[in-house]
Amino acid sequence: MSLAIRPRASARAIALRYGPLLVAATAFTLPLFWVAVTSLKRQSEYNASPIVILPSVLQWVNYEQAVLLADFARFALNSILLSGTYAVLVVLSSALVGYGFARHRAPGRDRLFAVLLATLMVPNLVLFVPQFVLFARFGLTNTYWPWVLWGLGGSPFAIFLFRQFFASFPRELDDAAEVDGAGPLRIFFRVYLPNSGPALAATAIFMFLWVWGDYLYPTLLLSVNNTTLAVRMANAYVDPRGNPLQTVTMAGVVLYVLPLVAFFAFAQRFIVRGIVTTGIKG
Amino acid sequence: MTAATGALRHAAPRSALWRRRGVRKAATLYLLISPWLLGFALLSAIPLALALLMSFTNYDGLNLEYVRFLGFDNYARALTDADAQHALGRTLVLVVAVVPIGLVVQLSLALMLNQPIRLSALFRTIFYLPYVIPVVAGAWVWKLFTDPSGGLLNALIGIASPDVNIRWLVDYPTVVLALFTIWGATGGGMVVFLAGLQGIPAEYREAAMIDGASRVQVTRFITLPLLTPVIFFNLVIGIIAALQILVQPMLLAPGIVGLGPGTVPPSDNYLYAVHAYITIFVHQLFGYGSALLWLLFLVVVGLTFILFKTSRRWVFYGVEP
Repeated sequence: MSLAIRPRASARAIALRYGPLLVAATAFTLPLFWVAVTSLKRQSEYNASPIVILPSVLQWVNYEQAVLLADFARFALNSILLSGTYAVLVVLSSALVGYGFARHRAPGRDRLFAVLLATLMVPNLVLFVPQFVLFARFGLTNTYWPWVLWGLGGSPFAIFLFRQFFASFPRELDDAAEVDGAGPLRIFFRVYLPNSGPALAATAIFMFLWVWGDYLYPTLLLSVNNTTLAVRMANAYVDPRGNPLQTVTMAGVVLYVLPLVAFFAFAQRFIVRGIVTTGIKG
Repeated sequence: MTAATGALRHAAPRSALWRRRGVRKAATLYLLISPWLLGFALLSAIPLALALLMSFTNYDGLNLEYVRFLGFDNYARALTDADAQHALGRTLVLVVAVVPIGLVVQLSLALMLNQPIRLSALFRTIFYLPYVIPVVAGAWVWKLFTDPSGGLLNALIGIASPDVNIRWLVDYPTVVLALFTIWGATGGGMVVFLAGLQGIPAEYREAAMIDGASRVQVTRFITLPLLTPVIFFNLVIGIIAALQILVQPMLLAPGIVGLGPGTVPPSDNYLYAVHAYITIFVHQLFGYGSALLWLLFLVVVGLTFILFKTSRRWVFYGVEP
């Protein structure tokens, strides 16, 4: 934007530019802010009428309760294990398949790729119900195998992204490696993977987030013993008489979300780079 | 493949050696994509065939010995099922409420963030954040925010008109669901719009401004037309996603000892996917439920097709720069 034609911004212009943004930002953060504030209140402050906006003394003990009352660590570990396994498998497998589609030719390739894109249109539930029937038949419910299988099979969305991403690599890389006697797998692992750090990381983070946040599949496939934090967090914390403790519940929700937010903030630059290079929508 | 090796290949005689090399090359592709091919066969093709088969039977998810072939009975039943019709109506209401408002919010935020702005990274993060917040946490956020006793929404309204006590999740559940959905989806769409905006060369806008166009005119006559492919993309994605909303209304079902797992959402939030889910996993009608889901699939495909047809009228697919 050339500076010459734009006069110094007036106060009105600044208000017009930032006003709506500030309003929107407030609207987007208020519900989150309220969760954080509630997680630090006394339960009596939560129940009080008229409403108590800020807690008089910050109740960090709610966080202690949230961890102790729910066996939080065990469910968190389940979530990490399941999300991590899926993310690693699906990224490697999708990258390999994406590399195949991007760099190797064979009759039927383009038709298969169209089929892959078509599977993106199938509603999740349409696929999941018969998968559920099959998993149940083969005794895979109540295990983590479905996620391993989903991971190994790759994600059409990630495959599509990796294919686009790898298609932008200079072909001379392959030719040079081929001349040196490297086979396609070796080229993939030695040339393509090491040069796609941000794309791999961004995809892995989104895949991890997906399983960490997924509520439906663990609810239907797992049991109370091995389920994920997402399912556990759908239940409120209660006191010994069965009355809900909203304050402790909110502390649990913060603990459930915070690692993601922190990780996301930390990895943002990384992810943005990945988004730019792969065109990930997320 | 560089031009030199390509030329060399054409010059070479089509000997048996070359043909063998072609077979090997084909084998390489199929070997590389074999994880997906296997996954597609086992986790997509076979399940889809099974789902189609199930939809013509009375399968209950357990007993194979009682399975009977019903022909199109399940589909006929779906068309006269009052619950399914109600659910479809509520789903359309939600789509009509959420998709246009969502698009306007996403696009406006992207346009505002595309200007030179202080703290733009912070603003971007704020709007993007809800998109990465898991659905269970998001449901708690909105359940708490709209709670009649400890929620902030009624307190804020109370500043203007005291003594309000709206039970949002009971009396206006669709409003909460719509807010939740728009709030959660904004980040994803906004990033796509931002990427689209950054793809528009600044010279176009500068040229228009030099010709005396105002900021609004530039947006209206330059930016938006060039952005129509992205608007179209987000519109299609938004409609397809909204038609399948399932978990959010179930989690928002009123109740105090948690989000409502397994409970039926209030009638206003009884969406089509919820109906299919309850039919299958609560009433164990796998056959009938599969028919409901195939109908949803058909609606999604049909709607996408119609959208693509109409897109020729208003989406600008541009001239090469």
